[in-house]
Amino acid sequence: MESMEVDENASQLYVRTPEDVKAIVKHAKLDERQLTQLTQALYFPSADVDSDNLRLLELDGHMLGQIRDGQTLYFKGGQNEKLVLCTDERTYDVKGAEISNSLLLVPDLKFAAATSTSPLKSPRTGNANTSLERSLNDSAEDELEVPRTLEQRPVLKVFHEYFECREIKPRFRKLGELLQLTRYSGPENEFCIEQKLLFTFSQLLDTVQCSRGQFLEGLNHYRAMELDGRMRVMEYEYEYRIINIMLGLISENSWALDEVEREETISALKGIAPEEVVTGLFDIYTTPSERSPGKFEYQESMVSRIVAQNILQPGLRFRNEEFMRTWQEALPEGMSCDLKYLRGLGICDKEGAQPCIRSLAEELLPTNINDRMRALFKTKQRWTMEEMEPYIECFTTPNLSVSTLLAKHARSLTDGGVRYFVAKH
Amino acid sequence: MPIVVKTQNAGKGDWAIVELQGDLEVRSNQDMHDQFIGDLYYNKYGQPILIIGHHILQGREQKLDKPFAVLEKSKSNEGERLLETSMASQDVSMLNATTGAERTVLDHTIAQEHKSRQRTEYTVRAVCTKKLIFKSRPKPIIANVAKSV
Repeated sequence: MESMEVDENASQLYVRTPEDVKAIVKHAKLDERQLTQLTQALYFPSADVDSDNLRLLELDGHMLGQIRDGQTLYFKGGQNEKLVLCTDERTYDVKGAEISNSLLLVPDLKFAAATSTSPLKSPRTGNANTSLERSLNDSAEDELEVPRTLEQRPVLKVFHEYFECREIKPRFRKLGELLQLTRYSGPENEFCIEQKLLFTFSQLLDTVQCSRGQFLEGLNHYRAMELDGRMRVMEYEYEYRIINIMLGLISENSWALDEVEREETISALKGIAPEEVVTGLFDIYTTPSERSPGKFEYQESMVSRIVAQNILQPGLRFRNEEFMRTWQEALPEGMSCDLKYLRGLGICDKEGAQPCIRSLAEELLPTNINDRMRALFKTKQRWTMEEMEPYIECFTTPNLSVSTLLAKHARSLTDGGVRYFVAKH
Repeated sequence: MPIVVKTQNAGKGDWAIVELQGDLEVRSNQDMHDQFIGDLYYNKYGQPILIIGHHILQGREQKLDKPFAVLEKSKSNEGERLLETSMASQDVSMLNATTGAERTVLDHTIAQEHKSRQRTEYTVRAVCTKKLIFKSRPKPIIANVAKSV
């Protein structure tokens, strides 16, 4: 849209001189006294600047902070994955944005404050044009010479696109899938494990689309541990068996729930399971006791879940009271089961004549939101938001909440004061 | 494989973005490299004024809500590359040896990732936190003296 004219004979490159600047200021009827002393002449990039290698990346406050601190960022993405950008803590979706405006990237360009020896005049009165008009009006009064400096500023590159980032939830589903390929079920079964599918910590970190911090959370979420230098998860039955023996030690030794001894637990399981597995599970399932230093306590939620998972095998359903009784009986004394621990494992279905608990494992559902919605509504017709949350929260982003997702993919209705969601079609 | 974005010494330079509506074009098809674009002035109120040819543009200095990082793509050095290539090909052959039911789509993506292991990396050259934006329509400069500009 803007046109450019250059006074030059094509062979020789034109360089701006102070005289040219003076002349153009006069032609433009600008009052030199109203201008700061510095003029910066802009030039198109040189042919020898390899500007194809330059990209603009839009930052948010967190990313800016990371860059200022000299932290490394990572782009991650496999063959068929959308690229993400990770800091140490967060994950971002990266998308190219095209614009019709031109963005001229100018290194070392001086902003107004840096070009004036005296402080800039503050509140600009009225609209932005007053100063111009005034300078037009009182021009050519007295020909007082104002010193003017000229600096040449090459533009590094003219951009018509930049990359936008949007924070997203870590995509560590792949981590779970990779770990599931080589579930550990005891040393005697290791011969069945495909050695080529065992991965080290850093191999997984490199391939999973999330930040390091989120990766550690993910490992914790999948209850993964390092065995023989490779990251592994346990076969449920095997994990349950070991945990059960470990829990048995509580009553055997008459420990209080928060006085579990680590060393004793480990030595009691010698010969039953490899020590690496026992210590790994112990550290995942326990937290240091608040009451007795040096002792530990099992996390009720984790114990309840593995026990429930053992009862509620995929495809099964139980009568409500029957399930809760079985579940409670399988827990160590002092721990109590709670429906909230079933989050993502099973659902309470009140639609039938008798309320029942049925298995519905989050990790076995489709990964595409449309397919998953279909699967969910096939399992059960009406859902409350709380019931759906564990199954669709993996699709949320900081600006896409569960309710927004439901508004888009489901239909809501109110029955007896309770809001339910049903299939759209 | 992740592509590293190095940030050491980033943000030292005070780089700026000058935003113009539309595009800068030259009349004929001449080479634009190193060509003069225009003069940038500031008035005493800090307002940027850009004169391009015989057009004058009044702009505004603006802090960027979302600053820009300037990334530069580069290749890592040769020695490292050789090392990584040999590692990568080893991993691939190991993965390719996987047969039977265990071979899933997932193996495939991993094998692909190893094959396409990138040796490129990015460096943050600078961070731009402010821009000069020229949104208004350029106004023509009418010289009353008949002298070429």
